[in-house]
Amino acid sequence: MKCPVEKLSLNKRLALITLLLGIIALFIGNPNNKNTIKVNAKELALSTIKDQDKISVLQLAEWIIEGRSDFTLVDLRNEKLFNKYSIPSAVNIPVENLLDSDLMRNEKILLFGDDDITSAQAWFILKSANYKNVYILKGGLNEWKDKILYPKLSENATAEEKNNFEKVKQISLHFGGTPQIVSGTTTNVIQNVQTPSAPKIVQPPAGNLKNVPKKKREGC
Amino acid sequence: MMPYYKFDYFSFDFSLVVAFIIGIGFGFALERGGFGNARILAAQFYFYNMRVLKVMFTAIITAMLGLFYFSWIGWLDLSLIYLTDTYILPQIIGGLLLGIGFVIGGYCPGTSVVSASTGRYDGMMYLAGMFFGIFVFGEIFPLIESFYNSTPMGRITLPEFLGLSHGMIVFLVVLMALGAFAAAEWSEKVMTKKLGREKE
Repeated sequence: MKCPVEKLSLNKRLALITLLLGIIALFIGNPNNKNTIKVNAKELALSTIKDQDKISVLQLAEWIIEGRSDFTLVDLRNEKLFNKYSIPSAVNIPVENLLDSDLMRNEKILLFGDDDITSAQAWFILKSANYKNVYILKGGLNEWKDKILYPKLSENATAEEKNNFEKVKQISLHFGGTPQIVSGTTTNVIQNVQTPSAPKIVQPPAGNLKNVPKKKREGC
Repeated sequence: MMPYYKFDYFSFDFSLVVAFIIGIGFGFALERGGFGNARILAAQFYFYNMRVLKVMFTAIITAMLGLFYFSWIGWLDLSLIYLTDTYILPQIIGGLLLGIGFVIGGYCPGTSVVSASTGRYDGMMYLAGMFFGIFVFGEIFPLIESFYNSTPMGRITLPEFLGLSHGMIVFLVVLMALGAFAAAEWSEKVMTKKLGREKE
């Protein structure tokens, strides 16, 4: 005796399969829940140990001066603080809005807050949500202020330290900072004077830094 | 894990190549489905040839079941699929305009390109009209911009909007499609008899 399914036309058989899949779907419910995320804990732990995901403020300063636009600099602090001061070219995305933001999973994202704590937490959120290239600005905005905006050199520094400071000084002046030489209790503020030995830094007009490349549109 | 582009399996440039290949495939499938012929498309609205409804609903439920089960298996992250924002009122008006154009011209934007590329003059005219329409839209955009951006609802999906599970929506759409297939078969029989014409 023939099975009843065999009597059906192809169309009806396909319809039957579809109906079955539809009924099974009814029992599955939600295939993926946005708020629960699978995390590869080992991978995360490893990249934390290796310190690969940290960028120093000096490195960032050089990137900005070079005009590199292959990364998105994200200021995690609230809007008020962001409006007061932020690193040039940064965009403001408070931590709570991170997953709703326009950040793409395949773009290079550099996070910073006042210190390392917020950015480390944000780093974890993004990493576990499958963002591939997430980096932390080491020391955050505090370190940016210490090392880039107000770098200090003590009077009795070694020759090597002085040499290094020359470069930092140029970078600092580029960002409108005030490098200082500290001797005992008095501090000497260095004015914007070019020293012949200083390494040349190509300075793009500061206004250009704000021009973050526009996001390409998706969809039809 | 899909979508491949979002997970950086290939670059933006290569994504254009992929889009081109998929586009060719899409056009080919439309043409083979008979969608390059305005008569078949317009017949839809007179209920004597429901091929468009059948093809479209087949495509919709195939894609829907595929997306649903792929994401259930874990091959696909549904949350990464791009969705257009919903602006309910302007989109209803836009949908009606598109529908009117569809009945009059016999094509929707995609099928008009298919038809034009198979050498049909009506398809080419339709395409020209579409570009003219885009031009007019661009010119009057400042006047209608506030309407265009009105009643925004963000990126909303049916499960979120109705508060139902994805599976429930899948089930309901499957039922709807099967019902529509049955109704289409029936209306074809009735209308062909009534209009006294053969199936095209």
